[in-house]
Amino acid sequence: MAFVAACGGGRDDTAAGSTQLSAAARLGDKIFHDVTLSSSGRMACASCHQADAAHATGDPALVVPPGGPALATPGFRNSPSLRYLNASPAFFFDRKGTPTGGFNRDGRFDTLQAQSERAFLSAHEMDNGNAAAFVDKLQRASYADEFRRVFGATIFDNADAAFANARMAVQRFQQEDPRFQPFDSKYDQFLAGRVTLTERELRGMALFNDPAKGNCAGCHPSTRGANGAPPMFTDFSYDNLGVPRNPDIAANADPGYYDLGLCGPFRSDLAGRADLCGAFKVPTLRNVALSAPYFHNGRFKTLREVVAFYVRRDTHPEEFYPRNPDGTVNKFDDLPPQYRANVNTAEVPYDRKPGQAPRLTDEEIDLVVAFMHTLTDGYPP
Amino acid sequence: MTRHRPFRPFSLGAIACAALLACTPALADEAALAARIEQMQAELNAMKTELQNLKAQKTAAPAAAAAPSAAAPAAAAAPAPAQASGAQTPLPDAMAPAPAYATAPAAASPLSVFGYGELNYEIYPRNRAQNQVDLARAVIGFGWRFDERTRFVGEFEWEHAVTSADDQGEVAVEQFYVERSFTPQLAGRAGVFLIPSGIINTAHEPTQYFGVTRNFVETQIIPTTWREAGLSATGMARDDLTWDAGITTGFNLSAWDPNSDEGRVSPLGSIHQEAQLAKAANLSAYGAVNWRGVPGLLLGGSVFAGKAGQEQPNFPSDGAVVTLAEGHARWTPANFDLSALYAWGHISDTAAYNLTVLGAPTPIPQDFFGWYLQGAWYAWRDGDYQLAPFVRYEQVNTGWKYADLGPGLTPPRLPTEGITTLGANFYVTPNIVFKADYQWFRTNSVYDRLQLGLGVNF
Repeated sequence: MAFVAACGGGRDDTAAGSTQLSAAARLGDKIFHDVTLSSSGRMACASCHQADAAHATGDPALVVPPGGPALATPGFRNSPSLRYLNASPAFFFDRKGTPTGGFNRDGRFDTLQAQSERAFLSAHEMDNGNAAAFVDKLQRASYADEFRRVFGATIFDNADAAFANARMAVQRFQQEDPRFQPFDSKYDQFLAGRVTLTERELRGMALFNDPAKGNCAGCHPSTRGANGAPPMFTDFSYDNLGVPRNPDIAANADPGYYDLGLCGPFRSDLAGRADLCGAFKVPTLRNVALSAPYFHNGRFKTLREVVAFYVRRDTHPEEFYPRNPDGTVNKFDDLPPQYRANVNTAEVPYDRKPGQAPRLTDEEIDLVVAFMHTLTDGYPP
Repeated sequence: MTRHRPFRPFSLGAIACAALLACTPALADEAALAARIEQMQAELNAMKTELQNLKAQKTAAPAAAAAPSAAAPAAAAAPAPAQASGAQTPLPDAMAPAPAYATAPAAASPLSVFGYGELNYEIYPRNRAQNQVDLARAVIGFGWRFDERTRFVGEFEWEHAVTSADDQGEVAVEQFYVERSFTPQLAGRAGVFLIPSGIINTAHEPTQYFGVTRNFVETQIIPTTWREAGLSATGMARDDLTWDAGITTGFNLSAWDPNSDEGRVSPLGSIHQEAQLAKAANLSAYGAVNWRGVPGLLLGGSVFAGKAGQEQPNFPSDGAVVTLAEGHARWTPANFDLSALYAWGHISDTAAYNLTVLGAPTPIPQDFFGWYLQGAWYAWRDGDYQLAPFVRYEQVNTGWKYADLGPGLTPPRLPTEGITTLGANFYVTPNIVFKADYQWFRTNSVYDRLQLGLGVNF
């Protein structure tokens, strides 16, 4: 598996306008790109969140980035784009009981600062193990004096405080650097009346929004808010789509291993909520054309595969799931049988059965994909 | 007390009441005036035998007013005892013509109190899970008379019984205005007041209309209870012609939600502002006229128009203008009460916005309309008891036409819904009504329903 080569970015994309950032954010910029803060000495946040790839990995073949001391420790989940994450609220259950918000695919962290702890410490990522190990590296960084000036001369005397401030600095960088939320896609400029969409893009947009066709906007709202706020293309909710098991994830070699999202194994507080097993956070679709592979387990490599899965999962399940020994389709094979009823089969476009026509034709799938390409940041006006 | 009564035309009481009301502003909202009507009606009942005097009074009092929209200089008096009513033929205020400017009795209290409410039971034979009982609204109002020519009216409403962060009810100020009569033929208002559009927007109390719930045209097309903040004038152009005009806040089209069904239920109801931190970069204007040249006949119409983008940033259709026009007629021969109304709404320059929400379930319509025909018959009366069966047919389309976006992209028009309502109002007193009706929906029969209701008005 060519993980290392695909996820080995260095510090070549520090903020162009870094002088406009706060002192903490400028430090965050440096930390974000500093490969010396990892046990391998070759991995930084930017390694898997590259600015020129919308802060995603930029490699559709990279299912789950490996890390660790030799960049060979396999990971568990697909690395997402970091763009627009700042808009996410902390995790909560809304009035109807719908889980909403949070960071990471299971929402177990409430802030960007909190979620970066996982990246800095976990064995399959930057692999520091604990705050002290991270801070030991940090105080030997070229910008250590700058860190002291910002957070105090004795900041390194307290590893936990230094680690917390380092993560806070990265959070400030993500919040302040406009490249994390530029709102300058073709679609944004279309909403602003500066450019027009092609007929194919418009038709794809109509299918994307149509509650009886793609119904994508049901979870990925595409229209401005009542106050004129730009659409985030996520409602920050969670859904259980029954994404097929991905054999390219090393952990999946164990037939007893299941990544169940909200109810575990990485999140523990909702382990008793069997009804939530298999649900993962709905991501923004901004820059979706740059953030392949797709879904929490990186099961699909192209957008077209993804849209086809949405509309054909229930009409042609054999296209996506393996067969059982008796020849039947093992639908929702990445969920234990007792949780398969949790999969969303009621809403459009999943509300189909074998023998029925998918909600979108092949041509319409292409149109929706064409529209989704308008969500890529950096479109020249 | 009696403020809103079912109508039996051509009776002495009705004529007298009509005469008294000719110069009153829109009645639905005029609590203080209601009390005055009550008192004056009692006095006039005592004068029934003096037909000559009554005729003279009627002649003197321009038969104008009366339309729900009709308004004229008004004077409110202290509430009169309910027993003072004595009216033998309840009259819907919406029809009541009125006299010239009336003054308050010297001994009257400056304070008047009024209210109304309705409790409804909806039964869906084809979808029993929807059955519900709802205290749809409870309203209390106050009037204060500063002098013979100046008064204040405030109306406060609770909807759906319970209002809190976790409940569905709401509290609203429906009216809050001061009124000054400048001459017997001219008055002005300032504040939050009802727009004189249609028949029931300004006469929306449950004793004022037929059926458990208000008709669809005057809720989905004319967003009853529709009020705006602004200035208005009302007066009589001739003895049989009243007019209204005003400059007010308008709609906020930038608040349109393309993903909600609210705009399909009521395009204007989804974007009216109700003086709640109302965007006011664009104001609107309206005008209304009502003619009562023939006894028992009311003909009227109104137009309301104004820009609705409110200059909100990033709203693509900032130049859009909302126009709502309607015409109405009501004829009350013998024991019948016949009415008709047509309302048409238009929103210009919506293409730019709709293009940005392609495929969304609720684009902004360019045209929407509704109309109804209604016939009621006061079939039986025994003292205060009255029974009035009625039938109504109406058609409503909240998305009749959309701005052209090109082939395959222009939203398809919505189907026109036709609703037939058959039912009856049973008045225990002119102020208390029990109602029952059945409604058939032509295209969505799942909504067919039996409705039972209690209405109170004082």
